[in-house]
Amino acid sequence: MLYYEFRKILSKTGNRIALLALLVLLGVTCYFAVNGYGTSYTDEQGVSRQGISYVRKLREARLAWEGPLTEEKLAAVIRKHAAVIAAPEYNSRDVTEQNIAYSWTQDYQDIRQMICRAFGEFRSYDYYKIDSLSPEDAADFYPNRIRALRTWLDTEAKDMYTEEEKDFLLERYEQLETPFYYTWYLGWDKLFEYGPTIQMIFVLVMGFVTAGIFAGEFSNRADAVFFTSYHGRKKAVTAKLWAGVLLSAALYWTVWGLYSVTVLGALGADGASCQIQVHVGWKSFYNITYGQLYLLMSFGGFLGSMFLLLLNMLVSAWTRSAVIAVTAPFIMIFLPSFLSNLSVPWLSKLLGLLPDQLLQMQTSVNYFNLYRIGGRIMGEVEPLFALYGALSLLLLPTVCALYRRAGRG
Amino acid sequence: MQLRLEHVTKRFRETVAVADVSVTMENGVYGLLGVNGAGKTTLMRMLCTLAVPTEGRITCDGEDIFEMDMRYRKILGYLPQDFGFYPDLCAEDYLMYVASIKGLRPAAAKKRVEELLHRVGLYSVRRRKMKKLSGGMKRRAGIAQAMLNDPKILVLDEPTAGLDPNERVRFRNLISELSQERIVLLSTHIVSDVSYIAKRLFLMKDGRIVHQGSMEEILEHTPVRAWLCTVSKERTNACLKKWKVANIRAGSGGNELRVLSDLPPMEGAAEAELTLEDVFLYYFGEKAGDDDALL
Ligand SMILES: Nc1ncnc2c1ncn2[C@@H]1O[C@H](COP(=O)(O)OP(=O)(O)OP(=O)(O)O)[C@@H](O)[C@H]1O
Ligand SMILES: [Mg+2]
Repeated sequence: MLYYEFRKILSKTGNRIALLALLVLLGVTCYFAVNGYGTSYTDEQGVSRQGISYVRKLREARLAWEGPLTEEKLAAVIRKHAAVIAAPEYNSRDVTEQNIAYSWTQDYQDIRQMICRAFGEFRSYDYYKIDSLSPEDAADFYPNRIRALRTWLDTEAKDMYTEEEKDFLLERYEQLETPFYYTWYLGWDKLFEYGPTIQMIFVLVMGFVTAGIFAGEFSNRADAVFFTSYHGRKKAVTAKLWAGVLLSAALYWTVWGLYSVTVLGALGADGASCQIQVHVGWKSFYNITYGQLYLLMSFGGFLGSMFLLLLNMLVSAWTRSAVIAVTAPFIMIFLPSFLSNLSVPWLSKLLGLLPDQLLQMQTSVNYFNLYRIGGRIMGEVEPLFALYGALSLLLLPTVCALYRRAGRG
Repeated sequence: MQLRLEHVTKRFRETVAVADVSVTMENGVYGLLGVNGAGKTTLMRMLCTLAVPTEGRITCDGEDIFEMDMRYRKILGYLPQDFGFYPDLCAEDYLMYVASIKGLRPAAAKKRVEELLHRVGLYSVRRRKMKKLSGGMKRRAGIAQAMLNDPKILVLDEPTAGLDPNERVRFRNLISELSQERIVLLSTHIVSDVSYIAKRLFLMKDGRIVHQGSMEEILEHTPVRAWLCTVSKERTNACLKKWKVANIRAGSGGNELRVLSDLPPMEGAAEAELTLEDVFLYYFGEKAGDDDALL
């Protein structure tokens, strides 16, 4: 039964086109991830180069700074930068000369960014902040991160959090182990950057396929035979659901796996044990590593996709219309990003718990939405997993029950 | 096996599609005759548990079919009027899928599908996509589908719609073969489809069974007679207005009309044997809409 349900899905021309489109979009996304911003290398002549071999060069240059990011190392970066900005090439009006000066800075660009964050204010970022620092300032690097949070909590965010919540945030900041370990992390970084895109594409394209599983019986007018068959109101309905769930799950892990292997293969997989605070999560109060964030993202994306596709199947079973069902994931994904422009505090707290958040774990760990559940304060990641895990489990029998009912007038 | 409808009524908002129908069926072929909108499909959908009667109940050997649930569907085969399928599956895969949801085990299903493909003459096109089959082939696939589980109750809603005369004859023979040891209910508005094979006919009008019985009984109890009379071409129109005319045949000496009436409509009218077409016209007030009465 399940076998023929799969055949039904995979024999449909529309579905084949959708899956082909998914493959093409996967290729395009991988291309952008591998060739996107931050992957170019500027050689000694000031010429910007792109390509895997230049990524290797960039990696070699950065690995010169690999290791614990101690005060001495930070001071060395500040010192090196001071020498670069004193050089005539840096101050030249000639673009090529400037590019040559830039090529001297690219080995410590990652650390430079960290320094600029550490010495800026909580909600601002100044790429040239490092210019005004002296090597002695390096000692303030780690304390500054906590200080900036405290200042922000005392001023701008004064009324946004309770005292308890403020303590929670500060405590998390203080718990973070220092010094950070620095190494090449671009592969993960790009993976995280385009991860939400590929997950979103997966859900939207897959939505076309799953929308037809239940509604298709009606649009094909095959429902009468289906519902009058022996298993038509029980096992055959469950088989449909499993076909949708298993196909979605298998394709999700295939797409996500291919994407991860491609991006990490091209850009390097080092840095899994770096704290996310090194780059993607400087302000995050989740003290986790790149590798852990990758797991969060993989399973968050999985759970989010499954939930949205189950929702899509629910609408499909309920309305008997594939067209309406297809729009369900679209709305769930795009409405929150539209509403988030309104920037109302309680709304952002609500938006933090919408399923699209599961498809963008790298931003979820950076949000400062706090929830109090069972006497404990937490960010949005834990409730997201609990909520959508439970809702997805609840959707499974609901889809079947609704569909069974749809077959009786 | 006994299938029984007791005071079954189905209402959709204002329309009463089926009104207080009580019939009993035992093994054999039953024909459900009625014009468009008479309520045939609605009645059959209720028999197939796709629609719930507003009033009354349907029992199979004394047990409510909705309570029997799976046990009832196990012995049910249904060919819907607007029979649909999965256009991209081939005929064989389609039947294999239906066999699986009908609860046949894979090995048994394979044998049964092959057997039925031969029986309905689709074996040579079994690998062809359903959407590429001709209308008649699709219907045959529909009949094969209904037969997969060797149903004790076979409901066929206008199974001959869209079939050419040859296919119709084939189909009639097929039904005759299939009718042993089971209840076959088939609806049509084409009299010739059922007149020979049905052991009992139900004439349905506006949701009611207005007349039922074997063909002989129905012919006997219809209070009208058929007459043949020849009139000039000029008078034909006037006659059509005056009498119920079942047929017109152009001849050299004028038109020969087949008139339904208690008494001879005119002098020289010759009485003819009443046919089911005449009865259809008599009850439904319109012609039994087909051009293959010659079959
Ligand atoms: N789902 C429904 N909702 C509302 N009215 C309906 C529904 N199904 C059938 N009807 C009405 O019930 C009446 C009987 O329809 P039904 O389809 O049973 O007739 P039928 O004898 O099968 O006609 P046909 O020969 O055209 O197939 C019609 O007036 C139709 O409009
Ligand atoms: Mg009908």
